[in-house]
Amino acid sequence: MRARSFLIIGGLGTALAGNPVAAADANHGKALYQACVACHSEKPEAIGPSLKGVVGRKAAALEDFRYSAPMRRANLTWDEANLRAYILDPQATVKGNRMPFGGLRDPGDVDDVVAYLKTLQ
Amino acid sequence: MATMLKEVDAVCIGVGFTGSILARELTKAGLKVVGLERGPNRTSRDDFALPNVRDDLKYAVRQELFQDTQTETVTLRHSTPETALPIRRLGSFLPGTGVGGAGAHWNGVTWRLLESDHNLRTHLESRYGKTAVAAEMTIADFPQSYTDLEPYYDRFEKLCGISGKAGNLRGQKIEGGNVFEGPRQNEYPNKPLALTLAGSLMQKAARDLGYHAFPAPAANMSAAYTNPEGLTLGACEYCGHCERFGCEANAKSSPQSTILPVLLQDKNFELRTYAYVKELVYDKQAKKVKAVRYVDTRSGEEFEQPAQLVLLGAYVFNNVLLMRTAGIGEQYDPATGKGTIGKNYCYQVSGNAVTVFFEDKEVNPFMAAGAHGMNIDDFNGDNFDHAGLGFFGGAWISCGSSNGRPILTRPVPAGTPRWGREWKKATAKWYNHAVNIGASGCNYAHRENYLDLDPTYKDALGRPLVRMTYNFRDNDKKMALYIAGVLDKLATAMKPTIQGKASSRTGDYNVVPYQSTHNTGGTMTGTDPQSSVVNRYCQAWGADNLFVMGASLFPQNASYNPTGLVGALAYYAAEAITTKYVKNPGPLVPA
Repeated sequence: MRARSFLIIGGLGTALAGNPVAAADANHGKALYQACVACHSEKPEAIGPSLKGVVGRKAAALEDFRYSAPMRRANLTWDEANLRAYILDPQATVKGNRMPFGGLRDPGDVDDVVAYLKTLQ
Repeated sequence: MATMLKEVDAVCIGVGFTGSILARELTKAGLKVVGLERGPNRTSRDDFALPNVRDDLKYAVRQELFQDTQTETVTLRHSTPETALPIRRLGSFLPGTGVGGAGAHWNGVTWRLLESDHNLRTHLESRYGKTAVAAEMTIADFPQSYTDLEPYYDRFEKLCGISGKAGNLRGQKIEGGNVFEGPRQNEYPNKPLALTLAGSLMQKAARDLGYHAFPAPAANMSAAYTNPEGLTLGACEYCGHCERFGCEANAKSSPQSTILPVLLQDKNFELRTYAYVKELVYDKQAKKVKAVRYVDTRSGEEFEQPAQLVLLGAYVFNNVLLMRTAGIGEQYDPATGKGTIGKNYCYQVSGNAVTVFFEDKEVNPFMAAGAHGMNIDDFNGDNFDHAGLGFFGGAWISCGSSNGRPILTRPVPAGTPRWGREWKKATAKWYNHAVNIGASGCNYAHRENYLDLDPTYKDALGRPLVRMTYNFRDNDKKMALYIAGVLDKLATAMKPTIQGKASSRTGDYNVVPYQSTHNTGGTMTGTDPQSSVVNRYCQAWGADNLFVMGASLFPQNASYNPTGLVGALAYYAAEAITTKYVKNPGPLVPA
């Protein structure tokens, strides 16, 4: 799992270069979020659920998305702390969920993505 | 009696990569297009989702996504005096069915052919002399040169977001890319996939031997990519479930991930699934295909769909079958060399491989992508001198892993029992320590390798099966032996704990082990109707409103996986249709 996460980070290499270490940067989060857009969009054929308004939403809340059973049972609210934990290590946070993503390893990147998610209303 | 439907501007037979590309280009030009797909619809969201899609048994072993041989298959014989028998279980090749076709379950290896592959006969005759090519080797030039197709290769690579590294940018050779490739105008749209341990071993071995290693061009995304259609693909998760599977992470280019979401939104396009095309309605006098007859496989009802334009984008065998049964063009006869349909059928010379084992290295073969390899092209095509070798052509050689799945990937050293306690011990010991170096060899046309219709066996619709008369020939066997020698050298240079001997196919063609789904030829493109089935724009000589797509166009098979060229030809033909044919319907090349 660790090695796989490493590869994913490698795949985002250019986006990560020059990442500032200061406070959460929603713009940088938006750049990182491009890796999420392949699945998470508002399009009807989208593979993942829409993340519009995800901050503060209950997990598995969208009517039109077929969530995995572990996600439905998770009984989570996507507050910032839960989102952070989930993006850092999806399988550790909701074991058996079906999102094919190994997680972002840099906590700074995670903060930036969460900062960007807050802008999606 | 078939129900007559209202005429449309164009009908696509098959909604795989070529059907999707053609339909997209034609609808953009304002044409009303109907796509007929014999199989079901398949979407990434509903069909390729975790955890179901990572099922080695269902998809890889039981072949969930492929053509059902109980409905339709081909027959095979090795030579004309033999009686052909039907292939009742897919093995050697795996034709797709359903929306996306094989483009949904391919590995993603996406090549351009070498410049010399495009004008093969001319090139070999000018380098080795007019008589160097044996009479039975019926190879031909593509009518499209590399330069003609360069912008269209580029378009397909951009559609798919190919991960790779250029080795020849506008004539400038770049170390680390493929220095043997033809000049490209642009760098690959995505950087190469991550370097694996196997890849780095190959890089070093190649460098030590003076060869030129480069990352294989891959339709597996090294990073998230948004294509010119505005569709975003995700970064590959290296899960090793590409070939035989749909992609769970939207990270492999397929019609589903690169075109269909946009095409299906277009009001000019209509998709009909379970629409199994039975025959083309051909007007020989007018030299037009007037309509397409198909069966709705859910109800058994027959429909006749008239169309101004017919785009034949089925698999190689079905392209041949539909043209042959309609009587468009003359059947090729190996005795006289006359006729063109079924001529120059070629396959791929694979099975050239060596596995090396490293006791002290952890390879992690499951961290893989379909086209994840470190390659050399030093022994491909005519990149090396063939004088005195007794054969032409060569192979790409690759090291890496496309998967490390539990059922089909069980590397063990030679001499290990095939089952039982000793096998179990060996498979556990070596699974994570084995590195494979493999080769994919070209297959040059031979007078006696061809396709026609079987006199005995019929498919579910009552049509004759396509009959393959095919075997590996001297050229193939000599080439494979030569390549095996190169593989042995590479293996030795890696200094493994255990080194096997490189295998090469020296016997008859066998349909059982998987080799490749790169069947080519049968409706070849050429410069005149006496020697080819379609012209340079993939337009049938015998019917000017029929355009044929796919690898059935190839005069012979280069070592390269065909999809890159198939995509380039689709864009090339689409442009000819929208800019030339639509304005002035008729033959685009005088016969």
